[in-house]
This record gives sequence, C-alpha cells and structure tokens, in this order.
Amino acid sequence: MRTFEFFAVKDSHDAVAVLAKHSVSSKVRVIAGGTDLLAELKFSPQSPNVVVDISRAEDLKSITLTDDGLSIGAVVTHSQIMQSPIIREMFPALANAAHVIGAVQTRNLGTLGGNLVTAVPSMDGGPTLMALEAIISIAGPDGRRQVPLNEFFVGPRKTVLKADELLAEIIIPRRNLGKPTHFLKFGLRKGQALALVNAAASFWVDWEKHTFVAPRIALGAVAPKVIRALQAEAYLEGREITPEAMAEAGRIAIGDAKPISDFRASAGYRRNLVGVLTKRALEGAYALAQAKR
Amino acid sequence: MDKKPTVAEKVSPLKTVQETPSVLREPVIAPLVTYPIEVVVPEVRQQTPAVGQRATRLDGHLHGLGQTRYIDDLSFPGMLYAKIKRAGVASARIKSIDTKEAEAMQGVMAVVTGKDVPCNSFGPSLKDQPVLAYERVFHAGDGVAAVAAVTEQIAAEALEKIKVDYEVLTPVLDPLESLKLETPGVHAPSANIYQSKIIKKGDIEKGFAASDHIIEGHFRTQMVEHVPLEPHATIAMWDPNGRVTIYSTLGRITLGRADVARTLGIPVSRIRIVATIVGGNFGGKNEITTEPVLALLSKKTGRPVKSVFTRPDEFIASTTRHPLIMDYKTGVTKDGKIQARKIRLVLDGGAYCSWSETTLGKACILSAGPYNIDNLYAEAYVVYTNKTMTGAMRGFGAPQVCFAYESHMDDIAALLNMDPLDIRLINVFSEGSLSPTGQTLQSVAIKESLLQAAKRFGWNGKGSADAGANLLAEENANTNMVRA
Amino acid sequence: MVTVTINVNGEKRTASVPPETTLLRLLRDDFNLTGSKLGCDVGDCGACTVIVDGKAVNSCLMLAAQADGRDVLTIEGLATMDRLHPIQKAFEKYASLQCGFCGPGVIMSAKALLDENPDPTVQEIRDALGGNLCRCTGYVKMIEAIQDAARILRDEPVEINR
Ligand SMILES: Cc1cc2nc3c(=O)[nH]c(=O)nc-3n(C[C@H](O)[C@H](O)[C@H](O)COP(=O)(O)OP(=O)(O)OC[C@H]3O[C@@H](n4cnc5c(N)ncnc54)[C@H](O)[C@@H]3O)c2cc1C
Ligand code: FES
Ligand code: FES
Repeated sequence: MRTFEFFAVKDSHDAVAVLAKHSVSSKVRVIAGGTDLLAELKFSPQSPNVVVDISRAEDLKSITLTDDGLSIGAVVTHSQIMQSPIIREMFPALANAAHVIGAVQTRNLGTLGGNLVTAVPSMDGGPTLMALEAIISIAGPDGRRQVPLNEFFVGPRKTVLKADELLAEIIIPRRNLGKPTHFLKFGLRKGQALALVNAAASFWVDWEKHTFVAPRIALGAVAPKVIRALQAEAYLEGREITPEAMAEAGRIAIGDAKPISDFRASAGYRRNLVGVLTKRALEGAYALAQAKR
Repeated sequence: MDKKPTVAEKVSPLKTVQETPSVLREPVIAPLVTYPIEVVVPEVRQQTPAVGQRATRLDGHLHGLGQTRYIDDLSFPGMLYAKIKRAGVASARIKSIDTKEAEAMQGVMAVVTGKDVPCNSFGPSLKDQPVLAYERVFHAGDGVAAVAAVTEQIAAEALEKIKVDYEVLTPVLDPLESLKLETPGVHAPSANIYQSKIIKKGDIEKGFAASDHIIEGHFRTQMVEHVPLEPHATIAMWDPNGRVTIYSTLGRITLGRADVARTLGIPVSRIRIVATIVGGNFGGKNEITTEPVLALLSKKTGRPVKSVFTRPDEFIASTTRHPLIMDYKTGVTKDGKIQARKIRLVLDGGAYCSWSETTLGKACILSAGPYNIDNLYAEAYVVYTNKTMTGAMRGFGAPQVCFAYESHMDDIAALLNMDPLDIRLINVFSEGSLSPTGQTLQSVAIKESLLQAAKRFGWNGKGSADAGANLLAEENANTNMVRA
Repeated sequence: MVTVTINVNGEKRTASVPPETTLLRLLRDDFNLTGSKLGCDVGDCGACTVIVDGKAVNSCLMLAAQADGRDVLTIEGLATMDRLHPIQKAFEKYASLQCGFCGPGVIMSAKALLDENPDPTVQEIRDALGGNLCRCTGYVKMIEAIQDAARILRDEPVEINR
C-alpha cells in the first residue's frame, strides 16, 4: 500500500470537516471497517492521499428507534447487527443477512455503511434494506440530505455520494417497522462466498382477505446494482396469498432481472436462482407473518 | 532435579537431558531405543497396528504456541525485500527492458533481469524454464525483472517503474490445438508434445469385436492450485567467500541445490539450502522458483534478501495440477464384463515441463482403473501451452484419471441397467491380477473393501445411502467400544 | 508517520509507523510477534486473526492506527512455554494441526468463540472457524479439540472421544 495521511475522527461533524478541508485538493477516502478499502488499496496502483477513519465516530455507532423509524449508524458492524435485540425482534432478515457476510473476523470489522458504499451488486446488506425501502441519510458540508436506497446506487461500485460526503445513517421508515421480511443468499459455499444471487421479500398480510399488501422484492447480483423486482411486486399487490402466486411471482421476477455470466455462474443459472429464491423468500416472509400474527 | 551434583560426582550430560521435562526435550531428542526393536509386522491383508491409533505430533506443541518459525518469521540484519515483476502477457517477445528509473529510486538497492542469470534455464526433468524470462515470455506469470529494496513497498513501486517493451504473440491456450502438428511450437523449434506414453495389452480390436456394447466417455478436469497456506518464501544470503545460504520453503532441497548450482554456475558445495518447517507443500514446493534470483540480488547488494509470494503470485507463478482431457472407449459384454478399453489422455502441461514426466506416466498407468482388462490401449501426451506451468500435486495425475474411469464405469452401469457396485465387483482386480503394465499385484483387497464400504454406508444399489445412517451409527458405536 | 500505542498481550507497547501499516505488520515487524501469519493479505484465510477488544478480527485488514489505544491479544499472549491454554493443549493432544501455518489464527478464533460462548454446538464452532482456511487437516480434529477445550474451561470431566 502506498502511503497516505491518516486522520481519525471522533464524530460525523469532525469527519465532514476533514473531508471538506481535503477533498478539494487531494484524493480522500473514508475508512470504516477497512475490509473493502484495504483489500482494494493493496492491489491498486492508485491510492488516496488522505484517509479518514470514521470507525470511532461516536454518533454513527448506534441502532436506535427514532420518530423517523429505525436508525442504524453507518459504522455499526455486521456482528452488532446480528446481535442487536431490536433488529432480531423486528427484522430477523437483517440479522440473517449480516450473518452470511464473510466470516466472524470480517463481520467484526465490516460495517453496514461500508457495505452499501462499496456498492457491489452482490452485496448482502442491500436487498433486505431495499425491500424495506430504507432511506440513506447523508452528511455533507451543507448538513444532512436524505436519499431512498434505490436511488443511492448508481451502478457497480458507484453511488450518489460526493467526495465531501459521508453516509451517516440508514433509516428503515416507521411505516415498515416489523414488516415481515425474509432474506436468502445463494453462494457456491456456505462460508466466505459472494452471492451468485441474493433476494429479499417483504410484505404485510391482510388477514381478512388473506392477500399481499405492499409486497416488496429486492434482488442482488442480477443487475449492475441491487434492484427491485417491480413487475413481480405489481403482480402480487392485493392478490390472494397462495403457493402458486408465490411461484408465479418468482417466474415474473426472472423478467425483472438482467444477470450476466461470469466465472461464478452463467446468466441462465442466475435466472433460475432468481425464480427459486424469490419464491422461497416470499414463503419465508409469509411464515414469519404467520408466526407474528 | 533435587540432587545437586558435587564436584566428585560424575553426571552424564545425557542423563541430565533425559531428566528435564519432556515438553522441553521432545522435539530435540528422540526416546532412547535399544536394538533390535520389536516391530509388529502385519500379515498381508491385516490392518497395521497404526490404523486407529491416536497420534500426536512432535511439532504440534510449537505450532499451538505460534512459536514455529516459518521463513517469513525470520529476519537478518540489513535484510532487503525482493519483488518480481510478472510479464502479464501469455506469449511475447521481449524487445527491451528498461530498469533505469527503478534503479534510480531511493531505497532500491539492486535490479536484476534475465541477462544477469549465468545459466537461465532449469527444471526437474527438462531444463526448459527460465529463471527470469529474457528474450521470450511463455506465460503471464513469468518473471521478467526483480528488485531488491529496503522495504517491500519500495520494491513494489519500483516494479511499476520498470518498462518492458513486448511484441505480443498469439498464445497457444487450448491443449487440443497444441497437439496439432501445424500449431506453432510454444518452445519452437521443440515440438509441443514434449512427452508421451503408450500402454498396449492384448488386442483391442478383438476385444471390441467380442463386446455387446461399446461406450464412449469424454472427461475434462480443470487446473488446480495447491494454495498452501504459507506462500512460497525465500531468504538468500551470499557471503563474501562466494558461498550462498538459502532459506527456502522448498521441499526437495537436494534437487534444489543442483538447480541453483546450474543456474548460478557455481559448485553445489558452495550452496547451502536450509529447509525450515513448511506451511503446506502438497507438491507445489517441489522445485526452485525464485531462489536463484534472490541469490543474485544478495550477491549484488551484499545483503540478505527475502521474498514472499503474494497470493496472486502463488496462483500465476507457481505450479498447478495438470488439467486433463480424457477420452474413453470401452467394450463390455451384456453382463458387464469389460472386453476392451481404449484411452487417450491429453495433459495440459502449461509453459514448462516441471514434473509432467512423472504425472504423465502415473496418469497413463492408472488410467484403466483397478480393473482386469485383457485388451487395453492407452496413450497419453503432455503438451505445452502458454499457461501457468503444471507440475506435481498430490497424486501426480491419479485423481484426474480416477474421476474419468469411475464416471465412465457409472455410465456403463447405467447403460446396462446394472448396479454400479456390481459392475465393479465383476471387473475389479483380485489377488494376483496383472496391472496394465504387467506387474503381478499382491495384497489386493479391493473387492472386500468395496463390499465393506457398501455395507457401512448402506448402499442400496441406486446411489442413495439413506438406509445406511443407522448402520453406520451402529458400526461407530461398536468401533468405539473396541477401541476403548 | 503515526504513533500507535496498543496494549498487546497485557503489555503497553508503542511504535511509530507509516500510516498504511496494517496491524499485522505492526505486530510482526515492529513488535516481533510473528505468531500471527500472513496468508492472503485480503481477509480470506484468517491466518492473521487476532483478538482486538474481545473480538476476532483479520489483522491484515485493520490499520495499525485503527488499533491505537485498544487491547490486542495474539497467540503469544495465550500461554507460556510450559503452561498452555486449554485450547492449545487440546490442539496438541488431538494433533489438530499439521503444517501449523493456520494454527495461530484458528486458535485465536476458537478463543474468541469460547470467551463469548462457553458451550458451542458443532455448528457454532464451524461458523466461528468459517474465516479460517486450513489446507492440511479438514478441520475435524480442530472441532474435536475445541469441544474438548470448552469442556475443560467449563470444568467438566473430559473423556477422550473419537
Ligand atoms: C473475506 C471477505 C469476505 C466478504 N464477504 C462478503 C459477503 O459475503 N457479502 C458481502 O456483502 N460483502 C462481503 N465482503 C465485503 C465487506 O466485508 C463488506 O462490504 C463490508 O461491509 C464493508 O464495510 P467496511 O466498514 O469494512 O468498509 P470499508 O472497507 O471501510 O469501506 C468500504 C468503502 O466504503 C467507503 N465508506 C465506508 N464507510 C463509509 C461511510 N460511512 N461514508 C462514506 N463512505 C464510506 C470507503 O471509502 C470504501 O470505499 C467481504 C469482505 C471480505 C474481506
Ligand atoms: S492474511 Fe489476513 S486473512 Fe489472510
Ligand atoms: S495445518 Fe496446514 S493449513 Fe492448517
């Protein structure tokens, strides 16, 4: 790794100030857990002149219920998400998604914020949050701005963040608190494997009519960024909950996906996975809804 | 020891050592033995007493403490770090290498290229591998220049400053292409087929004629890297008397010394190779790699020089397992007896021979499987391609052909609608069988092993072993009782 | 240069290093604690696993400066030459290691696990070792050793179980 200047900040204000000061004249990178950044810098001929360590930023470390909803600080680690009682209670899917990221060591370092900012299409942190319509709170020189997660990603490894901005919080809106959600990942191995496809499904149940309400399906590793399966969602909205409907939604979701072939899997194999995982994610969310009823 | 020796009392040093706690002594001094040692020699077909015994390892103690010293854990005063620039192109002519800018960098102590190597070729059988590619690049992992610098980072940055001008050539990547006579030679004027073997037994035409069915099968295996957890590492120290000491992860040091002597053009007696504990070899550390380069850098700088492969280096610049393309044709009677088998193996040898000779031989000899086949024809070729070199890896070709002949047996069983176990029992070697190369086999217990295995995991003839779960648990319980 | 002070194996140590230095480099090159190994340098193999503030981490993916002021435990801090930690004892007894290169990382992962969970299931042990690659052993004897060590740490009688 090439050398750089290193600043450790104590909170997000501090971080924004350092970013503002250095981002004009030099290349600045934020480091949280470092699990993506250091792996990148070790093998890259390019390198930043300044690195800002936010891993100790006090105001980005907590998981709290606010008026807006459930707020997860940017530097909350995957291990903390797995262990958080409030997340396990409200969104077991989020805890499960955290559990399948890397291994213990990476989960102890890696943060949810870093996962989203790296913005690889196969990220495991993205789909569940996307299905829950999470909002990203961004801290910049002019204060905070909010962006829905599905607008936050621009393409592979690209987000709307500007050089002087920081991902500060991930907010799951109040209307979706406790919404039954299920996440599934399919990798070539159980441990330390990136997803060939991952999927999250979330919906409320109208128990009287026994229908899907506000179904949301998100898919990873099948497009340049994490996507919503909008056609499948439209198909399910208001429809009676049956195994056939879930299977059909899976088939429709295949049409929403635009996977590529690479050394991990062919596009055809990924398309098949989309169908199967979507259906199973819907089934999982439904099982959770029944258990919570 | 509670009794202190007085001046008059004579205590043998051996006794003192023997009385020290065993943890301190164990790795150093073996227990005292008196000859002749009584060894239980098992009868043929009997399990040796070692099977089922609990064993610990003498080195386990230090391993658990993290005190085992691997090469990267050693350092010497004034030690420099070396990095090797990889070609990054599969096939090319090197027009020029400009190292000036790198040499001028602060902290860079020496740069070497192929022209600095006294004899730029080595290899465990064919001497076809350059220490550093000089005129030609044969695969992307070829080293083209090496830098020794005061830190690893400076060495890495210096590599970027070395400019190599290539005339890129069309690489030969497909082994079947390489096999064709019209394909340009990877190491022209040498032919691409650099070793072959043919085994003939009986008359296959007759055998096929006597068969009810003839079945063909085509199988391929991929290239596999050993991925030892400890990457290749070397420290070289050239001393003022013209001797060089090399600490290396090398598994075969005697062979390594000969190769180092050849490449450096100095007598073997001036080379000392220290083999330390190796963090995994699996056949991938059976030959020298960068040892001569480090020796030259050390000679040039007068300082110890260390280099450790990065994980990408390990994949592109160390040996791998040969990918095989395997064509099988077998004639069987309708009740499953094999009458004839014809086999062609094409081994992708990558850019250099390395241990291909051994691999080719073993793959060919074993390619028919452990089956009595009176009429056999097996041919095997290993060809050059512009890919990472292939060499020794656990089994030397045996796992690849095993995958092919056993898959082929399953296909035959399916075609004949037979139990895959039965077809094996019909054809498998027994005591006194002749191997494809005419060796009389002794101590053959395959049939018994197959039957016992089938019983243990509850083989039901269809590929499902569900019925076996309880049986296995029962067997385990029994085994425990026997052992306890 | 940044000045880093860490409490390593119960001892406060300071070094001045370039900011890009990883915690692994600091431990190995500056503090001569070579027990933690470099296997891949990108977080895949776990040979560099150490415990920072009670959590197992890949020391190759943490900047030394990020560990400033923290408690770091390495394999060297687990035992002395004649007094082994129960995990180390069990690893020796079960011959859980062959070439040994993965060992320090595996043992630190096991230590972090047993500190948090004194009675792990086999599945939990597997999960805890998910980030530690071993190319020699196949993990079976490691898992047995960790179960054994867990029993000892819980003060339960241990019988040889194989
Ligand atoms: C061995 C291994 C296995 C892995 N397996 C998986 C897996 O299975 N699934 C998966 O999804 N991921 C996996 N990852 C990727 C990685 O662990 C995660 O993406 C992790 O969450 C990244 O978080 P971090 O805090 O380490 O990010 P860092 O490396 O610190 O940062 C990542 C990027 O985001 C930027 N950044 C970080 N935080 C912020 C912020 N708050 N504001 C602005 N920019 C920021 C950094 O500048 C950098 O560009 C794996 C990584 C490794 C090393
Ligand atoms: S060296 Fe850190 S995980 Fe491999
Ligand atoms: S013992 Fe060799 S890698 Fe684990």
